[in-house]
Amino acid sequence: MSGDHHDDALISRRVRRLETLLEERGVLSGGALDEAIDAFLAQSSPANGARVVARAWVDPSFKSRLLADGTAAVQELGYMEGSYQRLRVVENTESVHNVIVCTLCSCYPLRLLGPSPSWYKSESYRSRVVREPRAVLAEFGLALPAGTEIAVWDSSAETRYMVLPRRPADTESFPEEELAARVTRNALIGTAAV
Amino acid sequence: MADRFAPGARVRTFRHDPPHHTRLPRYARGKRGVVVEPEGRAELADVSAQGHGDAPVEQVYAVRFAARDLWGEGDHHVVLDLWESYLEEVRDDER
Amino acid sequence: MARINDVGGMQGFGAVDTTDDTEPFHADWEARVVGLFNALRAQGMFNTNEFRDAIESMPAKEYLAASYYERWFTAICALLERKGVIEPGELDEQGEPTEQGEPAGLEARERAEQGESAELEARDG
Repeated sequence: MSGDHHDDALISRRVRRLETLLEERGVLSGGALDEAIDAFLAQSSPANGARVVARAWVDPSFKSRLLADGTAAVQELGYMEGSYQRLRVVENTESVHNVIVCTLCSCYPLRLLGPSPSWYKSESYRSRVVREPRAVLAEFGLALPAGTEIAVWDSSAETRYMVLPRRPADTESFPEEELAARVTRNALIGTAAV
Repeated sequence: MADRFAPGARVRTFRHDPPHHTRLPRYARGKRGVVVEPEGRAELADVSAQGHGDAPVEQVYAVRFAARDLWGEGDHHVVLDLWESYLEEVRDDER
Repeated sequence: MARINDVGGMQGFGAVDTTDDTEPFHADWEARVVGLFNALRAQGMFNTNEFRDAIESMPAKEYLAASYYERWFTAICALLERKGVIEPGELDEQGEPTEQGEPAGLEARERAEQGESAELEARDG
């Protein structure tokens, strides 16, 4: 992993000096940064994506709307309002497994998944998942049957992708909240099953 | 403005290797793929990255590539989001 | 020519460290940097493509050595310099003489490369 050898205290002071300079020069107002951070964290969490998936599992008509127009469907649930990005939800089936990456930077559905895990931003993941997805998924402990087709979605423009995982077989009687609790962040990226 | 490519259209990405920001990764340059769907119009990243307010707005397409066409082997697919000007048509008589 | 960020299909980065992060940020400054990015972009200081361009324009060795949010901070500073909001070197620590008589910024940088990284590595691991 890159970046283990750098001094948090040093860069922390540089960030603070920049904040001070920007306030002195009237570029940023005093509370602007705290507001931006609070707003970001308040509207970005993997719990959002998990709730969307649970709803799709229990409500077939929501699921078809979600697959047809992801942005509009999650807006029904109050997510991604005012976002300039488009959401495309890709469904895992018995024959197809989807996995998300951004090889050029780190594009990711922040509003639905929260800040991304370190591995998603790593050169190892970004370089290899488009070339040898099966080997990469195995490193996450996900072994797919030989016949399963893998689709890798490399987000290179303003669409953000999220995986709709397969619903586990033993969950017919589960209420929606309990289903949502089963859905992990990795499952929403495609590096795990539920 | 009408979209240049419909879902299912066979396309080839340009081989360009620009000295500036672009969103066509080098592993997918000069490769053949199939249009999945249009994604909506957006400012061309290559120009917008230079800070100009007047970047051309183009349709962006999800384009699906077979691993074999990208890497010479593999049975998976890779889908990329590509601006219209990264793409050219593959003619019917091309094999 | 392809830039250092364009890593799809490259060999040599090794196995994926699949460790899951439990916290959104590893340090408070990372959250501040995300806040800076969001606030400055929202007011039109730069757009996302300019920001990506600034990250990709980092020298390859620096890009690979930097942590994710260090890249963000480097890019924000580069754009603010380009737009004349800050001057190069303005964030360096100045006027605080150290034992060697070097500017504190340089001294801290050297320290980061030597002893203090051990503690950080232990914590990250």
